[in-house]
Amino acid sequence: MSVRSRIPRPRGLAVGLLLLWTLGATPAWSDEPGDDVEEGLALYISQQCWQCHGYKGQGGVAGVRLARTLLPYEAFARLVRFTNLMPAYSPKVLSDEQLRLIYAYVQSIPEPPPLEEIPELDFE
Amino acid sequence: MKRDKQPHPAPSDREEPVRVNRRDFVSSAMAAGLAAAGAGAAGKASARQAAGDAQAPGALPPTAAQEAMESEIPHGYSADQAREYFVSNPGSDFMLDVIRRLGLEYIATNPGSSFRGLQESIVNYGGNQAPELLTCVHEEQAAAMAHGYYKVAGKPMGVLCHGTVGLQHASMAVYNAWCDRAPMILLAGNHLEATERRAGVEWSHSAQDCVRVIRDYIKWDDMPLSLQHYAESMARALKIAMTPPAGPVAVVLDGHLQEAEAGDRRPSLFSVSVNQPPTGDEAAVAEAARWLLEAESPVIVADLMARDQEGVERLVALAEALQAPVVNQFGRMNFPNTHYLSQGSAAVARADVVLGLELFDVWGVINTVRDRVHRDSVRKARPDARVISIGSNDLFTKSNYQNFQRFYPSGLSIAGDAQATLPLLTDAVLSGMTPARRASNAAREARWREAHALARGQALDDARYGWNASPVSTARLYAELWQVVKDRDWALVSDDGAQSRWARRLWPIERHYQYIGRSGGAGLGYGAPAAVGAALAHRPEGRFAVNVQKDGDMMYTPGAFWTAAYHGIPLLTVTHNNQGYHQEYMHLQRMAARRQRGIESSWRVGNELRDPDIDLAGIAGATGVWAEGPILDPSDLGPALARAAEVVDGGEPAFVDVRCQPR
Repeated sequence: MSVRSRIPRPRGLAVGLLLLWTLGATPAWSDEPGDDVEEGLALYISQQCWQCHGYKGQGGVAGVRLARTLLPYEAFARLVRFTNLMPAYSPKVLSDEQLRLIYAYVQSIPEPPPLEEIPELDFE
Repeated sequence: MKRDKQPHPAPSDREEPVRVNRRDFVSSAMAAGLAAAGAGAAGKASARQAAGDAQAPGALPPTAAQEAMESEIPHGYSADQAREYFVSNPGSDFMLDVIRRLGLEYIATNPGSSFRGLQESIVNYGGNQAPELLTCVHEEQAAAMAHGYYKVAGKPMGVLCHGTVGLQHASMAVYNAWCDRAPMILLAGNHLEATERRAGVEWSHSAQDCVRVIRDYIKWDDMPLSLQHYAESMARALKIAMTPPAGPVAVVLDGHLQEAEAGDRRPSLFSVSVNQPPTGDEAAVAEAARWLLEAESPVIVADLMARDQEGVERLVALAEALQAPVVNQFGRMNFPNTHYLSQGSAAVARADVVLGLELFDVWGVINTVRDRVHRDSVRKARPDARVISIGSNDLFTKSNYQNFQRFYPSGLSIAGDAQATLPLLTDAVLSGMTPARRASNAAREARWREAHALARGQALDDARYGWNASPVSTARLYAELWQVVKDRDWALVSDDGAQSRWARRLWPIERHYQYIGRSGGAGLGYGAPAAVGAALAHRPEGRFAVNVQKDGDMMYTPGAFWTAAYHGIPLLTVTHNNQGYHQEYMHLQRMAARRQRGIESSWRVGNELRDPDIDLAGIAGATGVWAEGPILDPSDLGPALARAAEVVDGGEPAFVDVRCQPR
């Protein structure tokens, strides 16, 4: 089977993501980020995730927001490995463990201030 | 020093330029100087030039020796040659008369000997008013200024350059203008008569066919060999440049023709009216109206459509008649982003009829090519979606450069100017609308109002992320800028595509002049000079022009800031300084990932602009522009922008360098 044929169709992926989300899947390490977060940040920088997703995972026109992503880990990993949107990172250049650490980092990014506390975003 | 920003009064068609010969030059030079100083219209530059003129040898009363030279035969001259020792009515005066009749207010130039005759006519015979020369330090800058100027002023600027080395320098900016349908009149100096060329450089700066280097991306050119020929070609050039699809044209100015005596020749007193934009075929427009009325989910996509506010209002009228969403691709400001029918490109996926208005890329609205090893095409629109295309693309195109994009077989293709055709289409829609269709509009309106409010809320929510990040987030950059412009009559003179489109997402953009679109050909070097040209067009209206400047783009044409300072063009420039060619970072990343080589240690090579960091504020400051930066702490940004805005309010350019997030 070719690599291409193993890549799921977008619709299948979307259904999978929805299922995972509705089942409330969460990573096992979410309670103790600690060192994982620091290592994840280092990988986030060295692997150039910030180039499209921003240093704080804020996202933009080049890449979706990753800060406090709502994607469960499995869906996140799927997007990194098999996608038509971003460069597909294979385990040869980004191991599963490294990917898990990056996920830990983006999950740990603090919530930004609420709109009410940012007067510059008051466009009324 | 604050400069008087009053614009030059444009000469009326009836105004006859003062003809000046050698003997009465003193009085005319004084008149020109007084006019420049009194009107103050040319700002500091003209005042400086007028002061210089008063001290120049040529402005002094003729001495006895000079008088003798004009009445006696100088050594080494035959009697016939002596009659041409001085020139009373040079051909370039005639050329200037023609330029004035065409209404060109400005000519951007980097000076050159192949057009020294016309340059002298402009500054002395014409008093450097309408047209006024804009001193540029590179022809690419000059052409890009003309590009930006047109998109605000709605009329072309002249670009005066060497036919050889000047056009070669200008070529990139001409290509951008060609792709962006921005007219300009390139005036190219050349010496065709070989036996009259001075040895050396005049040969290197002459060509058999100097326009050849840019002919693939201009609409028309000519090389007139007589003054009347020149007059007619200039009039033709203006008409062709302005006829949709608009674009650059070039006229070669022969050096001998400029410098030789023209005698009493005067341009024929023709008045030039530009062509009215062509409308689409009436029957085809009626068919388009029928398709749109039959559709359940019609969607309008507009790109290089609106030429002015009238175009915006015409599109609003059509969209409201149909209650159809408008996807503004922002090649021009086509539709207010505050209107509830302003929607994102996702609307196309649900459309059963897509109406494309002056689309740069019809195929690309309906399909996409995935950037992977196997570049397959994927249809974004519904399989059954029908496409109506109205535009002037097919009225004029060329074959070599491929900016015409991939062919798409629209179901109904109407050749005509979209803005001119919209009233016909709206009338046809309104007259064909059944009571049932009209009744459905309320539900459509409610749906789109809800979608618009959701998108607005999402944009504001997204802007919070990375709010306190350093380097500064691009969302914060635009939010802080908004604090500066919101109480002013503002105009953005740059494209926000590289900043995650935050101007379009956050700022209320309602007037045509508030957004001028993109470069067209995506050739770097456009940003700063186009912004200066656009700001020049905003100056008479007293608008506050803002340029968000990419760092890589700036390094191509930083001299534009000197021109802004020299000519007193108020413009606030704020950098989106991500210290690299960021688009190329992403391409390198894609290649390395695809080849499973990784990018951890190689991402900088060929792409980064740091170590040493480029002192962008230092560069701008060195051109005479008030400058500050780099700003790294986002809390420093607001106060820096406020200081810069004060400078701009005083009529000067200002520059703030901001280290930003990549996108």
